[in-house]
Amino acid sequence: MKSRTRVLNVVLTIVAFAAVLVWLLPFYWAISVSLRPPSMTFTCPGLCIPGVQFSPTLEHWRSELGSREMRNALLNSTVIAFAASFFTLLLGTPAAYALARFRFQPRLVVIFAFIFCGILAFTAATFGVDWRLAILAAFVVFLGFAMTLGKRFERRLGNEDITLWFLSQRFLPPIVTVVPFLLIMSQLKLIDTKLALVLVNITFNLPFAIVIMRQAFIDLPVELEEAAMVDGASFFGAFSRIALRLAAPVMAATLMIILAFCWNELLFALNLGTLNAKTVPALLAGSSSTRGIQFWFVAVRALTALIPPTILALLAQRYIVGGLTFGAVKG
Amino acid sequence: MRWDSRLKYIFLLPTVIWVLCFTMFPLFYSLRLSFFKVNINQPSVFLGFGNFVRAFRDPNVWNAARVTLTFVLVGVAIQLILGLLFALLFNRKLPARGVLRTIMTLPLFATPIGIGYMFITIFHEEGGFIRASLGSRIPWLSNPDWALVSVIMVEIWNWTPFVFIVLLAALQNIPEEYYEAARLESSSPWEMFRYITFPIIQPSIILVLILRMSEAFKVFDIPFALTSGGPGISTQTFSMLTFDTYRRFFDFGYGSALAYLLLLVVSVIVTMFFGRIRQAYR
Repeated sequence: MKSRTRVLNVVLTIVAFAAVLVWLLPFYWAISVSLRPPSMTFTCPGLCIPGVQFSPTLEHWRSELGSREMRNALLNSTVIAFAASFFTLLLGTPAAYALARFRFQPRLVVIFAFIFCGILAFTAATFGVDWRLAILAAFVVFLGFAMTLGKRFERRLGNEDITLWFLSQRFLPPIVTVVPFLLIMSQLKLIDTKLALVLVNITFNLPFAIVIMRQAFIDLPVELEEAAMVDGASFFGAFSRIALRLAAPVMAATLMIILAFCWNELLFALNLGTLNAKTVPALLAGSSSTRGIQFWFVAVRALTALIPPTILALLAQRYIVGGLTFGAVKG
Repeated sequence: MRWDSRLKYIFLLPTVIWVLCFTMFPLFYSLRLSFFKVNINQPSVFLGFGNFVRAFRDPNVWNAARVTLTFVLVGVAIQLILGLLFALLFNRKLPARGVLRTIMTLPLFATPIGIGYMFITIFHEEGGFIRASLGSRIPWLSNPDWALVSVIMVEIWNWTPFVFIVLLAALQNIPEEYYEAARLESSSPWEMFRYITFPIIQPSIILVLILRMSEAFKVFDIPFALTSGGPGISTQTFSMLTFDTYRRFFDFGYGSALAYLLLLVVSVIVTMFFGRIRQAYR
């Protein structure tokens, strides 16, 4: 019995190592390809270990990272990712705090009225009514309704419903909003600007930030903030001096995860950033058509795109599980 | 302590307004577009349900639906099974477990399109790793069926770590006492899995399933990089078809209708699991 478990342990250890090798292999192979001289690209037998089977060259890395389009793309991606994640947290954190600490009880009927008036304004605008007029009229109708009839129905929603509303936007296929965004951005004259992509990335990561940060604030002991308020701090003081400081690690991890999401975004980068605002993924997407399949070149570009978010993932190790499941599973 | 203040509205309202402007408004807008034939520089023509009727008669749509469903059913099923097996494996005492676990999570945040291109150097039929080093002559990218297989393989490579890491976390949250008690009753490993492990991690499995399925319906980046939908349209997913309709044919109305069909399917799935989602995010 004892020896059987020992054999089993050895076998399982080997299986685990083999699995890890399978997951490591593509990275290794891409690195190996990127270091090979072009003549060796197709003719390198076996594992093609750099330094053993060929003498590695950094030439491809140098020429690719030195190219103007790659530098532009790296700069664009970095600027967009940092700007978008900063503003996502700036908008999302207070909202998350409000959802964690205060009680919201919007009346169901008021929400329905709002949606109804929104649709009304929208329909009116599509049939040629000036959109400013339509919005104004709808707003007046809505206010009137909320003041009178709205007070007579008691059915209310709670914080959880609001959180779920934010969460449900994560399930939305982004392709649905591509065309509207294209049209909005062309109206605002923002096509092919970094600002457009920043706006898009904020929109898609905002629900994520809210859900994660709300859970982080709920997990904090509320007593500290209450003690501060007893000592005379305002709500805002309790939020900024106590809750924000205590939630800082989660906030940093959320920032890193959002940075990676923004960096990886492809669909909108392809649509909204054609030339001046081309990000690394968008640049990569054109690789096969512009130069054919040149392995070393593809490998360098793919690795350049991959490395920054992978490093972020390593830094945020501890928070990955909570982050990717929106806080439903604790890591 | 009175947790109430006007401040709460100032905290919450900016995000609500943001979402109304940049998520809800575009959603309505594309719903509207889906009922029109949109012409550039000319007034649009109202079609009623014309775009949707056209979609149901379009063989490309059925093909894209078939490809996407294969991704969702086959891909996610394999990811779940593999991920669960790895999680169980890594939950044991292994040498260098932390390092191995970290390596397994490398693909999690890696740029999907970068992964797609990276796998070209693996699957390429002249000089890819499989051809050059393993000598296999399988037409990974040029045969329609194999192309689908290779794209699904890359998806599995990319997303099994997600299932793995979440389920591993769930496994490690199970108190050791449960197993000790079971060992006293001399339960077999299978019984322990069946009656202790599985019931406890079952909510996590369902959660992973929902998250993976809703993501898999949107699959775009990896097939875009690896095969660009080819050969022919054999790996063209629903998102890619919609994207092509917009980009190549500028058919915004029809594209919006297709996008809405996808949204509808994802909504049905999410609604089916809505009770579970609600519970998970209490």
